Amino acid sequence: MRKIFALMALALLAGCATPPPPAPGSAASKVVALGNLKNIEIGPMRVARENGFMTVNVSLNNTSSYNKMMYYRFAWLGKDGFPVAEPETWKSLTLYGSQSSFLPAIAPVPKATDFRLEVKTP
Amino acid sequence: MHLIRLSLLAAVALLATGCANNSPALGSKNISYGDTKAVETVTNEFGSTDLQMIAESMTRSLAQSGTLQGRPVVQVYDVKNKTSEYIDTREITTSIKTQLMKSGTARFASDNTDMQSQVDQLKLQNQSGLYKKSTVSKTGNMVAAKYRLEGSISSIVKRSSDYKDVFYKFSLQLIDVESGIAEWMDEKEIRKTTER
Repeated sequence: MRKIFALMALALLAGCATPPPPAPGSAASKVVALGNLKNIEIGPMRVARENGFMTVNVSLNNTSSYNKMMYYRFAWLGKDGFPVAEPETWKSLTLYGSQSSFLPAIAPVPKATDFRLEVKTP
Repeated sequence: MHLIRLSLLAAVALLATGCANNSPALGSKNISYGDTKAVETVTNEFGSTDLQMIAESMTRSLAQSGTLQGRPVVQVYDVKNKTSEYIDTREITTSIKTQLMKSGTARFASDNTDMQSQVDQLKLQNQSGLYKKSTVSKTGNMVAAKYRLEGSISSIVKRSSDYKDVFYKFSLQLIDVESGIAEWMDEKEIRKTTER
């Protein structure tokens, strides 16, 4: 009985130690958080191509009841996974307490086929 | 005596190696290069982040609007500064031009500041008799603009004992030169508040 418990505990520990990486192509795989995100949740993303340019809309959620600020910028990538444009300028965004919002973006060049959203909370 | 000489030589060698610098940097440690893309909030006057955000937002909106079909020729006019502060608005138009050019959606005719140099060069080539004829750029072939791009920036500043609030509004419009119709328009609003 003890052995079974020990094995179960080990299995649980191993499971906790290595969280599965986000599935390729999933919303989570597009987010690069610089450190832990505090009180900001990044939800589903809508990706489309309009007039030849990639457009993205990202849903955001403030899990705190206080106003929270975050810094963000998009990196636009080509087919080979490398940037196709100059790095964007960092921008700041304030979400009111418990607010859900959307963050729209347009790629700077038609060559962009993928993106990464870099985020940081102060 | 020999021993003193040797020890002096060793001391000089030690000093020389001690001074050797293997870092690619030179100068004071108080000066450093920063990230040009960082969010700048040193004061709440118009700053680098405002310039970059305006140019980025306007360019992308215009490029993606689908108005600029077939890389039309655009003439850019200076942005009118209606704010109470000094802003080098030419830098806003230069950034917009550069980013539109990089997006491959538009070509640009000589604007009012470049025009004199362009005319001077054409005159020099055609009238001075200095150049080989086959290499001379002929007059009468300059391409006229299909659209003109013009904008303005204005601000509302409010102060109280506790706050200073600055609201900037940048507007840009693309006008068809022949018809005079505005084909595209967009605005970018920025609010900056300082708590004293």
